[in-house]
Amino acid sequence: MRSISLYRDNGTWLCRVHPFTKLAYILAVILVPLLLGSLWAYAAAIVLDICILISGKSLRRARALIIFSFTIIVTIFLIRGLFDADNITPAFSLGPVVFYQEGLMKALRTGAVIINMLLSFSILVLTSKPEDIADELERHGFSPRLSYVIASVFSIIPQMMGTMDTITDAQRSRGMETEGKLSQRMKAFIPLITPVVTTSLINTRERAIALEVRGFGSKGKRSYLSPWKKHRGDRAMTIVLLLSIAAAAAWRLASWLS
Amino acid sequence: MAFIEIENLRYRYPKTERLALQGISLSIEKGSFLGIIGPNGAGKSTLGSAIIGLVPQFYKGAYGGHVSVGGKDAATVPVSEIARSVGLVFQNPFNQLSGAKDRVYDEVCFGMQNFGIPSDEMRRRADETLELMGISAFRDRNPFDLSGGQMQRVAIASILVLRPEVIILDEPTSQLDPAGSEEVFRAVEKLTESGITIIMIEQKIDKIAEYSDRILLMDEGRAIAIGTPDEILSRPDLEEHGIIPPAPARISRALSFALPDGTFPATQEAAVTLMEGRVGFRKDEKKGEAQASAEELLRTEDLSFSYTEGNEVLHGISLAFDGRPTAIIGQNGAGKTTLAKLMKGLLKPVSGRILLRGRDIAGNTAASLAGDIGYVFQNPDDQIFKAKVADEVMFGPLNIGMSEKEARKKAMEALEMVHLASAADRNPYDLDLHERKMVALASVIAMETSVLILDEPTIAQDDRGKTMISGIIKELAARVTLVISILHDMDLVASSFRRVIAMAHGRVLADGSPEEVFSKEEVLSEAGLELPHTAALAKKLGAEDILLSDASFLAAAFRV
Amino acid sequence: MTGKSIFRTKFDVASIVLIPACIGINYIGKLFASALKLPLWLDSIGTCIGACLGGPIIGGICGAANNLIYGLTTGDSITLIYALTSLFIGFFVGIMARAGFMKTFPKAIITSLVAGAVAIIISTPLNIIFWGGQTGNVWGDAVFAASQAASLPLWLSSLFDEIIVDVPDKIITLILVFVILKALPDKLTALYDAADEVERLD
Ligand SMILES: Nc1ncnc2c1ncn2[C@@H]1O[C@H](COP(=O)(O)OP(=O)(O)OP(=O)(O)O)[C@@H](O)[C@H]1O
Ligand SMILES: Nc1ncnc2c1ncn2[C@@H]1O[C@H](COP(=O)(O)OP(=O)(O)OP(=O)(O)O)[C@@H](O)[C@H]1O
Ligand SMILES: [Mg+2]
Ligand SMILES: [Mg+2]
Repeated sequence: MRSISLYRDNGTWLCRVHPFTKLAYILAVILVPLLLGSLWAYAAAIVLDICILISGKSLRRARALIIFSFTIIVTIFLIRGLFDADNITPAFSLGPVVFYQEGLMKALRTGAVIINMLLSFSILVLTSKPEDIADELERHGFSPRLSYVIASVFSIIPQMMGTMDTITDAQRSRGMETEGKLSQRMKAFIPLITPVVTTSLINTRERAIALEVRGFGSKGKRSYLSPWKKHRGDRAMTIVLLLSIAAAAAWRLASWLS
Repeated sequence: MAFIEIENLRYRYPKTERLALQGISLSIEKGSFLGIIGPNGAGKSTLGSAIIGLVPQFYKGAYGGHVSVGGKDAATVPVSEIARSVGLVFQNPFNQLSGAKDRVYDEVCFGMQNFGIPSDEMRRRADETLELMGISAFRDRNPFDLSGGQMQRVAIASILVLRPEVIILDEPTSQLDPAGSEEVFRAVEKLTESGITIIMIEQKIDKIAEYSDRILLMDEGRAIAIGTPDEILSRPDLEEHGIIPPAPARISRALSFALPDGTFPATQEAAVTLMEGRVGFRKDEKKGEAQASAEELLRTEDLSFSYTEGNEVLHGISLAFDGRPTAIIGQNGAGKTTLAKLMKGLLKPVSGRILLRGRDIAGNTAASLAGDIGYVFQNPDDQIFKAKVADEVMFGPLNIGMSEKEARKKAMEALEMVHLASAADRNPYDLDLHERKMVALASVIAMETSVLILDEPTIAQDDRGKTMISGIIKELAARVTLVISILHDMDLVASSFRRVIAMAHGRVLADGSPEEVFSKEEVLSEAGLELPHTAALAKKLGAEDILLSDASFLAAAFRV
Repeated sequence: MTGKSIFRTKFDVASIVLIPACIGINYIGKLFASALKLPLWLDSIGTCIGACLGGPIIGGICGAANNLIYGLTTGDSITLIYALTSLFIGFFVGIMARAGFMKTFPKAIITSLVAGAVAIIISTPLNIIFWGGQTGNVWGDAVFAASQAASLPLWLSSLFDEIIVDVPDKIITLILVFVILKALPDKLTALYDAADEVERLD
């Protein structure tokens, strides 16, 4: 059973950077352009994302994550460019249909926001192990219940896939055709969903008991198999990032007051 | 005052009428080994849960009386606290995993993390216990991909590492091969020397007799009696409580060898010291050899399979099955379940072929084979997916083209057969494990296939259940169906099967009549098997033949 | 039920393990929808089940945690924005369930409409803020484009878009939830009855 997590340890520095540092980066790279408000800021942010992903040897896998958003972005360009309320100055026209500047600029902004967001998150997603994030949260004083929920989600989904297979086995071993043509498999899919869900829920009961007797939710202090091997730069990077947010906020305030 | 004190404990589960425990009083000393026996539904597991506080804290319901564990009140002190001093291994190994860990090693460490054991200590204990349970090889495997027995070993290990003062084991060896369960019993007995208290719930009466200091006999939520194995197991009313006495007691009673105090020996040693030199055995001339019945139903040719690239779990299995009821036995992880799933068409062989009545099944889908080959899963919960027992049992018949009416008829017959007709309208998941196992069995019987494969049908069954199953096997065999059963229960193998196939490491080690296979000592040891208890006793007393049943034992034995 | 007991929540282990299960179920639902090429999300089945079993608070947590976890770990960071929507869906479905509106099929339908309304009220502004009013669902956006072309106000066309997408989705979802809840064994549901406490026999 393979995990749904997209994390791969490709041995680059990016994988050793602490997840919190990456979170700080996401925060910065999303807030700063928002505060500065100029399209160039977004451009810069996107370039930065891409550079980091390249140096982390993860750009190709990141592409897979953002590709799907292109359809949305295209439609945004169409609809804004054609029908936006503020449309006045025509930009260009394809035959009869006329695209307007105002709408296109709005669309450009929205597109930049989406791309920037997807890229910056993909940095975290592709290079940090969910279980590690969970452990780290717990070590920094978050409830073990929270980290259990996170870690458990990542093992429970493959389990449910497993449940699907076992139920499929149970059904076809008693004569329900689940193999063969696509349409056949489609048909077989529908009677699957309720049993999969009920079975998964029923398992939670057993799991709750198993956790109880293994001391889960016992008050005392907990311990960990392996301590986090810190990356030199973590602290410095975090500070820089947070400072940059502060700076941008200050600038925004100043420009308002003046 | 004893370490565990139970006073007049009464308990009723929510949404049920009758009390699961009706006034149990019991005290358990440190460092003792208490065996708990009793029929299905006696309340054994409930009592176990009450000691660790799951009853009533987790299950709620109605609770009376008092349970104290090392001075802690089990009804009020949080379970996670009591768990520091009491460990509980559940009956069903398939759902005891934390669900947060994807490596066996991390799974075993999970509990220790909750209790804040330092990491180096954690590693030491984990390595040690994995070794003890013989699962070091799987430390990096995903616990959900293990075989039944391997999973059960993980379940036991993850409690042992916590080093609790009391360990409650609820049928901890139900899925283990004979050698494996022997190891587990030895391991936990050793723990008692270091002052750890063991409470073992078991259906394997012979083992309980060997290892426990005292035995508690339960029935219908009551403590019927508590005493030494000899006392309890030579009670005349034992059978009324659904317990068949262990072989030594049965035999010595039949040959009327009583101990000085009038009881009968419950253990092999005791029986041997009592009867040694006082019984002889007639040599049996006509050996029961396996005469293959005429037509061949199913054949596998040079069958190989692997779940993951590179590690093959079956290596070229070639077998031919005729009408004889056939038992497949062998160590955990030998590949028995895998073989069954291959023959059922649920898995596709990497190489080799499977022939049903001379026809290669490679072309067919599992579904199209459903009418010919039935398979009862090792874990009933893998098989049950309907919300009503009747629907569950009717599912198969309807799929293989029976009419609604006919299907219902077949379903009810099958449910009658397993004594569950009364449960037809209940939700299978509200039934107990042993009943769910029977529902799974019924749901396949109802399809009246010509080949029926049972994967460890006796799991969680008490002696009544086992007797019922051997009855069913006989009945089906009479319906000229081929019954193939995977089993760890050697006594049932001896009593109900005419052909035995012993497997180990993905290979067939021996194939023949029970007498033949059980006479091959090197095979038994390599496949982690042991002699049926009667045969073992006979051997210890110097019999040359393999005497599998009490009848053959008593026929051959004479007092001197 | 009194107003207090509607919000009564048990934070015991049973409820904690319920949360990841529900999040997983959401994922499976989404998987089915995409595998069967349905024009629906089906990604709140688990949230609704969590709400019905664990109550509004657990329901809300399921919803929010669902979007946060997937957003932060599976790369689908768009969903982060809708954590708010999921939270309120879980919360209100929980209230409806505790108020007995999952007991019969017609009542379940009413609950589904409530859920749909909540989704619309919360999501529409989010859509406008982040995507200039679209949902990214083909059918919905077609309507959106049309109504924009008819130069209706942005919020209105965005609202239509949402209605087209979310109302059918929530109806199907809660029908499924209703069926599933009916199939659950007493042994399980007994754990989540906020009402019952240990009764003393002496
Ligand atoms: N969670 C539950 N809810 C309701 N009733 C239950 C529950 N668990 C057990 N029971 C009932 O309580 C009684 C005792 O069950 P228990 O499992 O303790 O018996 P047991 O001796 O362990 O049986 P077995 O040998 O099958 O394990 C049975 O009648 C059973 O149906
Ligand atoms: N889904 C799986 N993925 C990978 N390996 C598996 C899987 N299922 C079983 N195995 C491995 O294949 C081998 C044979 O497993 P199988 O279940 O056939 O053993 P078994 O003889 O049935 O054992 P048991 O008596 O414990 O049930 C074991 O080593 C097991 O770890
Ligand atoms: Mg039990
Ligand atoms: Mg097996």
